[in-house]
Amino acid sequence: MIAILVTFGVLGMVLLTFGERLGRWAFLVAALAPAVSTVWVCAQLPGIVDGRVVSEHLSWVGGLGLAIDLRLDGFAATMTLIVSGIGVLVLLYAASYFSSDAPHLGRLAGLLVLFAGAMVGLVQSDHLLLLYTCWEITSVTSYLLIGNDHTDADARAAALHALLVTSAGGLAMLGGFVLLAAESGTYRLSELADGAVPGGATVTAALVLVLLGAFTKSAQYPFHAWLPGAMAAPTPISAYLHSATMVKAGVYLVARLAPIFAATMVWRPLVLTIGLATLVAGGLRALRQHDLKLLLAFGTVSQLGLMVVLFGAGTPEATTAGWVLLVAHALFKATLFFVVGIIDHQTGTRDIREITPLGPGWRRVEATAAISAASMAGVPLAAGFIAKEEAYGAFAGMPFGGSAVVLAAMVGGSMITFAYGVRFYWGAFVEPRRRARTEGDEAELEPASAPSWRFVAPGVVMAGASVALGVAPQVLDPFASVAVASLHATAEAVHLELWHGFNLALALSVLTLGGGWLLVVFNRRTQSVLATGSAVPTGEAVYLVLLRALAVTSRRVTGIVQNGSLPAYSGVILATAAVLPAAVLLSSWDWPGWPAFGASGDVPIAGLLILAAFGAATARRRFSAAVFLGAAGYAMAGLFVVDGAPDLALTQVAVETLTTVVFVLVLRQLPDRFERQSSSGRRRAVRLGVAGLVGATVFVFAIIAGGSRIAPPVSDEIIARAEPDGHGRNIVNVILVDFRALDTFGEITVLAVASIGAVALARVGRRVAEEGAEEGKEPVVARAEGLNRIVFVDVSVRVIFHAVLMASLWLLFAGHNAPGGGFVGGLLVGSAITLRYIAGGMKDVRGRSRFRPWTVLGAGLLLAALTATFPLLGGGDVLDVASASVTVPLLGTARLSTALVFDTGVYLTVVGMVLMAFEAFGDEPAEAPT
Amino acid sequence: MTIVLAATAATLFAVGTYLVLQRKLSRIIIGLSLLTHGANILMITSGRRGAPPIIGRADPSTFADPLPQALALTAIVITFAVTILLLALGYRSWLLTDDDEVEDDLADRAIARGDILRKEIADQETFMSHEHGDAGP
Amino acid sequence: MTWLVPVPIVVPLIGAALSILAGRSRGVQRTIGVTCLTIVSMASVALLVTVEQGGMIVARAGGWPAQMGIVLVADRFAVVMLVVASLMLLGVLVYAIGEPGAERNHVGFQSAYLILAAGVSGSFLTGDLFNLFVAFEMMLTASYVLMTLGGRNDQVRSGMTYVVISLLASTLFVTAVALIYSATGTVNMADLAGRMAELPPGVRSAFAVLLLVVFGIKAALFPLFFWLPDSYPTAPSPIVAVFAGLLTKVGVYAIIRTQTLFFPPDSRPGTLLLWIAGATMVVGVLGALAQDDVKRILSFTIVSQIGFMVMGLGFFTLAGVAAAVFAMIHHIVVKTTLFLTGGLIEHAGGSSRLTHIGGMVRTTPLLAALFLLPALSLAGVPPLSGFVSKLALVDAGVASQQYAIVGVSLIVSLLALLSMIRIWAGVFWNPAEEETEPAVAAEGAEGRRSGPLLMITPTAILVVSSLAIAAAAGPIYAFSERTAAELLDPTGYVAEVIER
Repeated sequence: MIAILVTFGVLGMVLLTFGERLGRWAFLVAALAPAVSTVWVCAQLPGIVDGRVVSEHLSWVGGLGLAIDLRLDGFAATMTLIVSGIGVLVLLYAASYFSSDAPHLGRLAGLLVLFAGAMVGLVQSDHLLLLYTCWEITSVTSYLLIGNDHTDADARAAALHALLVTSAGGLAMLGGFVLLAAESGTYRLSELADGAVPGGATVTAALVLVLLGAFTKSAQYPFHAWLPGAMAAPTPISAYLHSATMVKAGVYLVARLAPIFAATMVWRPLVLTIGLATLVAGGLRALRQHDLKLLLAFGTVSQLGLMVVLFGAGTPEATTAGWVLLVAHALFKATLFFVVGIIDHQTGTRDIREITPLGPGWRRVEATAAISAASMAGVPLAAGFIAKEEAYGAFAGMPFGGSAVVLAAMVGGSMITFAYGVRFYWGAFVEPRRRARTEGDEAELEPASAPSWRFVAPGVVMAGASVALGVAPQVLDPFASVAVASLHATAEAVHLELWHGFNLALALSVLTLGGGWLLVVFNRRTQSVLATGSAVPTGEAVYLVLLRALAVTSRRVTGIVQNGSLPAYSGVILATAAVLPAAVLLSSWDWPGWPAFGASGDVPIAGLLILAAFGAATARRRFSAAVFLGAAGYAMAGLFVVDGAPDLALTQVAVETLTTVVFVLVLRQLPDRFERQSSSGRRRAVRLGVAGLVGATVFVFAIIAGGSRIAPPVSDEIIARAEPDGHGRNIVNVILVDFRALDTFGEITVLAVASIGAVALARVGRRVAEEGAEEGKEPVVARAEGLNRIVFVDVSVRVIFHAVLMASLWLLFAGHNAPGGGFVGGLLVGSAITLRYIAGGMKDVRGRSRFRPWTVLGAGLLLAALTATFPLLGGGDVLDVASASVTVPLLGTARLSTALVFDTGVYLTVVGMVLMAFEAFGDEPAEAPT
Repeated sequence: MTIVLAATAATLFAVGTYLVLQRKLSRIIIGLSLLTHGANILMITSGRRGAPPIIGRADPSTFADPLPQALALTAIVITFAVTILLLALGYRSWLLTDDDEVEDDLADRAIARGDILRKEIADQETFMSHEHGDAGP
Repeated sequence: MTWLVPVPIVVPLIGAALSILAGRSRGVQRTIGVTCLTIVSMASVALLVTVEQGGMIVARAGGWPAQMGIVLVADRFAVVMLVVASLMLLGVLVYAIGEPGAERNHVGFQSAYLILAAGVSGSFLTGDLFNLFVAFEMMLTASYVLMTLGGRNDQVRSGMTYVVISLLASTLFVTAVALIYSATGTVNMADLAGRMAELPPGVRSAFAVLLLVVFGIKAALFPLFFWLPDSYPTAPSPIVAVFAGLLTKVGVYAIIRTQTLFFPPDSRPGTLLLWIAGATMVVGVLGALAQDDVKRILSFTIVSQIGFMVMGLGFFTLAGVAAAVFAMIHHIVVKTTLFLTGGLIEHAGGSSRLTHIGGMVRTTPLLAALFLLPALSLAGVPPLSGFVSKLALVDAGVASQQYAIVGVSLIVSLLALLSMIRIWAGVFWNPAEEETEPAVAAEGAEGRRSGPLLMITPTAILVVSSLAIAAAAGPIYAFSERTAAELLDPTGYVAEVIER
């Protein structure tokens, strides 16, 4: 069985890929897959009829109970035969329907095969999730098939409508399945049928969800609207998907579950009401169509309603009737679609007001149509009649209440069915001739050319079957019996008869025919009555309203949250970051008590810091704001000194200097003053509010966190082991280059990439700017000259520069034992370069540094990276430190360790970064247009 | 952790936040730096305070906790790098727009006005405009 | 095999250094890049195998004991993410080399890309909270650079948003580390797992929420995600592909890691997470419906999908976390693929605006297939990988009786399907409405076929691998379950890292 599904899949893929070349032949190739499956099922039939069951199992996701369980019993066999058999005929028909130059025939054929495969899988799957899988595949393929002519807006709309409705139902169904499995402990249909029926609210909910899926798929009211729309698809596709197979999936599911759950509270009321409503309403709509195809579409809706009623009742008799109707409908409805397709193809219209009279060449077509229409109308000697008889018989003696109502509704629905059956035949064949005779000018409308035999044959075959089954239904008895038995274990054998003798069923049949005839005779009157019904909003309208509503909501929501303003985003983030933790802290208040007020040394510096901060915040000029920021930075350094963090202080000073310089370099380009903040008072209030929240939270959280320290810090061990194992006395530096060297490593890569980005951005800008500036008139020259006049400055700077370079080297080497290290060293070089820049401008800087900034940067990074990786080769850990004691002139004895090499890498990277920064911002770009 | 330092950090956070919520990139950058200062204060005060942790300069038991210092140092340098990058962005933005104002995202503005699912709705409307049967006899 | 653990971090960094030095030749740089990432991928796979067989591996940088130094921990969660991520990085790099455009030829591109790769690996591997911060910064700073390399106006603007927001997140991260250290006296994750438990419950929960916010910004959770759809679409498509596939997931990874490792069940913000998850998926998907640009639609669906993962975590059950892990694996692959396809669409059609392009199913059928499969998978259509992940989540939700969120997630996945179908219809079915600007239109005409081979091939391979995930869903989900078990009971992790 799996092999057959694979055949479908592979063939489909092949046709999708190479099908275009085959033209119409693609359909004949495609027909192979369903043919194989038909043959296979027929081969199994004897066994099936003896009550044996073929099943296969393949595990997929064990953890989720997801598996491929296929099971071919009587009912599955019926559906498979319908799907595959009609599949073959449809594909043969399609080969004549499409003109060989039509586009994308390969795509059509491929999709049809894939769909057929999914459908076969659906009806053979014994696993609810596998069923859902195939279910969705059919939805998607149906979407692609309906929208086949994607240039046509109608086709697109119909495709989307169908997809959305069926997928919505599908998702509900998935939820239902999972709930059901959670309650009953199995996804296997067969186990559900055998096991005890679970009950309770959850199961009820699950069933409703599952039925939602079934109803949407089988186009039950009020979800039916997508099916008539789907008629935008080419006729063979409508015949196959939207009358014979896919729309029966829901019916199939109902049939499978009804025997198990019919007894539960919701089942019968829900299923029977919906089914009957669909039967009647669909029929009434069908009665008013002029487009033959739409007439059939609404007819299908109506018939699906009847099937849902019959299978949904969950009694063996009703199921039998449902089974016969299932078979009969497959035969006559597909045929009628074929006929419409032929008429459309030959005459160019499907509208019964425009069809030209069909000449003698059309006898075969007309006969086919007559038989099928009769079968649909439930006329004796056609299969449909048997189904109707069985149905009436089944509900005549129904074990549960309200069956009389059901019967009445069924009779009414069947009358309507009869009426639109006649309307179809009459409108297609009789009416045009009469019109022609009355108007009497055949000259204008030349009779349409008769269709070829190949084109008609598939329909004839099925019409023949309809008659055969109508005359001698008993040939089906064994098959019907086993099919029904596979749903109702207890059901006794079925006997189908054309003549049951005089009984209620017969009387009702007669009543149906009579009533139907009256509907036809008083057509005008019925039409005028029906016209009043058009006030009821159609499904399309509801769907459109929903689409609009969705559009509005998504715009509203997105418009609010996604307003595109950075301050708003930051505001929300900061507010959240403040409010959530604060809420938690307040909700469970464990206050550790106030800590010490603070060291006297801190107070003045803290005050200075805060003052600087406020200055920066309120400054009206960019430049002064930058200066205030620098002041704040130096105050931070001071704080570090007081708190016993000399390395931090050094770094902070160096960083602050460089930041301020770069800041100023950039600020030169910007207008000096901030434009007056035109922001409203409300905005200011919000800002202040968020700021206050953040501040408060930080204060409280800091004190609580600090107060609830439980264990001694890990750093005690670090202090203990810094000198013996880390070979350094400056613990912070040892941490940086040894204990946590990985941090430092990562950090210098950040430096590297940031400087690359800065150069990239500024350089792109530079190109833009230089287009404006003329050659040679580089303002930098002028400025440099201006400074150079003060020789003293220049000289002193040059002297200082070298001194600073030496100092930086000393910091690098001594850093391991005294405050300093690679960073501070590198940053010191940075400030030296800054000095050069101030004195001599960019040229001077470039002159100083013999290497390209990129090289310095890369070299530093590489050095660090290699020192980090080297130990790995020796089987050690990454960033392992080896060291040896050496004597360096001038610096005295020092332990020279790979940590130092690593630190040198850091040093170089930092230098490289500073050089890059000046590359980026150093040169004067063209003057700002002010 | 002491009240003074907690308060200082809190103030820096507040002022920083206030600045970050503005439109001028230079103001935002200043705000971010102040926020970082605040975070660094929290960092160094997260360990015990004391003498500089350099062996031989003082008794190890009186040392300030060196680990947070190292972390803070790393954090400072990283922020420095990113700030440089951010400044480059402002610089570029000035070259392109003669300002460092952070404009709103135009696409978002368009959404706020624009009509959603237009195509789908339009198709459905055309579909319904064509009469699908349901006319009198 | 301890030596393997740092390889995914150091090798790209060596590569980055070399490629900075080799600035003069693009060819050399590209060779370096591809070689390094290939090594990383192989190392990751090797790690996956060894960890799966022999349990987690702990590498101690500098050979120091856990609390003093920095440890790299290769457990199931870390290595599986590592494998997926490194393969994506490699594929996208090849695609980027194939794509025409100035950014990808910039002297800094390769090195920045490699540093990004190192940062991602670091974030997955590190067992130290502060080192996680550093790894984040490597990744982010590189991403700032990659995003703005072009220096175009829109890139600069969205770059500002992106950088400022990320800087805020980083500052909050440092603050969180500071507060945590001041309360616990350690930054080693395994050590924290022990010490957090001794804190008063209120403080503990406060830390849980704080960390959630910190990582939530990166992971793009509601209400912290607004920056994402504004920033991503402006970057070149291979870059966005990496951002979309990996960066947000690194955030999710950090959330899952910290929430499960640090906090005992009583202080895990389960309910809060479920609320956030619901809001994230709904607002995200509504946003996606409101867009008419392929990249923007995809960016919003990222957000919505993140909601699904957080939902899985929010249950804090074995099934839930397993579902979340599976969802991450699936989503990294599928989302990366979708953005690469988006790039191909832009390349072939000359624009990514739905209104500017159309009818491409005729001109580029291959591209149509390459888009449709991952798109349907994202929407959770069976039998694709997205369905398995959706089913796992629904299953977990029903098991823990959180029917509300399950219902929401089902509705959202319908809307997700709609948003994907809108791209399909807009790009491949509808006739183009407005004329594209002549310049781009010309490029489009030149690229009538689906695109350069170097762009098509990696995309196709990714599509196939996403199908493979569906086919091998059984073992992958089983692995996710083992991972979830490890995560929910961190005693093994702690014992491995801290040897006493």
